[in-house]
Amino acid sequence: MKKSKFTSLVAVIMLILLAATGCSSAATPDTTKTTPAKLEKVTLQLKWLPQSQFMGYYLAQAKGYYKDAGIDLEILPGGSDIIPEQQVYNGVANIGVTWVSSLMKYQSKGWGLVQTGQIFQKSAMLLVSKASSGINTPADLKGKKIGSWFGGNEFEIYALLEKNALKKDTDVKLVQQDYTMNQLLKGEIDAASAMTYNEYGLLLESGLKDSDLHVINMNDAGVAMLEDCLFVNSDWISKNQDLYVRFMKASIKGWAEACADPAAAGKIVFDVDKSVSLDHQLYMAKEVAKLVVPTGFDPANIGSIDPAAVKQTADLALKYGLLTKAAVISEDTVTSKYWKLATTK
Amino acid sequence: MINKVKNFLWPLAFGVALIMAWQFGLFHKILKLKPFQLPVPTEIASTLAANLPKALTDCGVTISGALIGLIIGSLLGFMIAAIATFFPKWGYGGMIVVTALNAVPIVALSPIMNLWFSTGMQQKIGVVTVVCMAAMALNAYSGLNNLNPYSIDLMHSVAANKWTIFTKLRLPNSLPHLFTATKINIASSIIAAIISEYFAASTAGLGFGIKDNLRKAEMAMGWSYIVVASLAGVILYCIILLVERDALKWHASQK
Repeated sequence: MKKSKFTSLVAVIMLILLAATGCSSAATPDTTKTTPAKLEKVTLQLKWLPQSQFMGYYLAQAKGYYKDAGIDLEILPGGSDIIPEQQVYNGVANIGVTWVSSLMKYQSKGWGLVQTGQIFQKSAMLLVSKASSGINTPADLKGKKIGSWFGGNEFEIYALLEKNALKKDTDVKLVQQDYTMNQLLKGEIDAASAMTYNEYGLLLESGLKDSDLHVINMNDAGVAMLEDCLFVNSDWISKNQDLYVRFMKASIKGWAEACADPAAAGKIVFDVDKSVSLDHQLYMAKEVAKLVVPTGFDPANIGSIDPAAVKQTADLALKYGLLTKAAVISEDTVTSKYWKLATTK
Repeated sequence: MINKVKNFLWPLAFGVALIMAWQFGLFHKILKLKPFQLPVPTEIASTLAANLPKALTDCGVTISGALIGLIIGSLLGFMIAAIATFFPKWGYGGMIVVTALNAVPIVALSPIMNLWFSTGMQQKIGVVTVVCMAAMALNAYSGLNNLNPYSIDLMHSVAANKWTIFTKLRLPNSLPHLFTATKINIASSIIAAIISEYFAASTAGLGFGIKDNLRKAEMAMGWSYIVVASLAGVILYCIILLVERDALKWHASQK
């Protein structure tokens, strides 16, 4: 008798807990109109770990730009198995950072997501090899082992190979790369994927010099696809247009300041999470600034979407098999509306 | 006979009902999912049919790794149990070590093995071997040592030596336990092989297929890999069951 009482007690507690968690998860996505004095809660899902890749948001957060705009921003770090598109669609986050090619894939499958801003104007993807391995042009990749992170990160490499008349299945050996550069350093692969702002820096930090390395840059090779962009759930934005524009405004302010003084921004990011090392965050901040405000780019246009670059991304994605049908580029999938509102007001 | 048909029909009806509920959106309604988040069975089936050669090649890679690892792991596990039986004084230490190894989660083991081995296949076999060792060692040990009362006394009374006792008494006695261990290990070896592929350098195998496709919004393709993995597991399990039935005809559990 005593025992059954105990189990029913446990059951009741479980039920209460369940109800409590159920309520809280139902309450969080509701960020529509609360009292104006209160901050509105917004969550931002990053594509990767807290690092200078996202310095604009961290700087705006640290300097209170989101608070000034009436926003209580929560930044959710990403990881290898956290997919921003799924997080935003499911309502775990309101706004996400992802690569345009990956977003297009989700859109083509029917996920109601819309691209609302473009932070990185250039591709940061490199294929790096040791100078000693003699890979001087893309054509030299024939018969080599190439590392990729896959999961959507392989398509610039596919495009590069095909453009140089190499078959990805027979002419080269593609290998899954982990998030270090050890496979390249240990000679297990000949060419490794590297982001200018992250993995390339890891190689330099490991003691190699620029002259020890040979680099194939996707921009120079004409196969660049757009990377870090901002996107939202179509339903969410239709109810939260004003909120999003305020977020965008604060974020652009953050990015502009971060790119003007990457060293300070890198320090802010390092203080948030103490990720890797201060030197690494400073290096990354400097490199990321070059992608957000490339040479000759007007800083007033930070975050704007370049239709030609979007089109190139879509075309490459279709040509090299990421997409099975051409991406629909319309106001419903890629829109500059909110960027314009955020920059003119 | 009628009972046999009933035993077969009920689970079948239940399975069909489950698939129908899935197909016609009951799960989608309950879990508030869209078909592109959880593809329906017909879509999974047609995707699988379209990509069958690739899925089967990947399945072959995973299953061969799992089986090789299973065999090596089981042999090692059995040897440890046998040593612990022959030399109880110091041999039992091996059992303790193997039980401790069993507590290491596969997710932690895979990236570590990745650093030790350069190819995906070696890494996979390494992980599966470690995972399969403990279940076999523990089961084999109890099979080799939980003997019928007085049977060992009988062997002693006819002056049987250690080796005779082992082959005539302990080994047959352990056989049902060895099959139990193998049945456990079949499932865990496939799980271990798939998880190890999440981390491996290789781009072949069911694990890589599941992970890569689910990330790229190819949900139906990801699910078709999951279907292949489950089918492979069930088929292997059935094979073991058949072998067991054949090998243990004499045993009470099979009568």
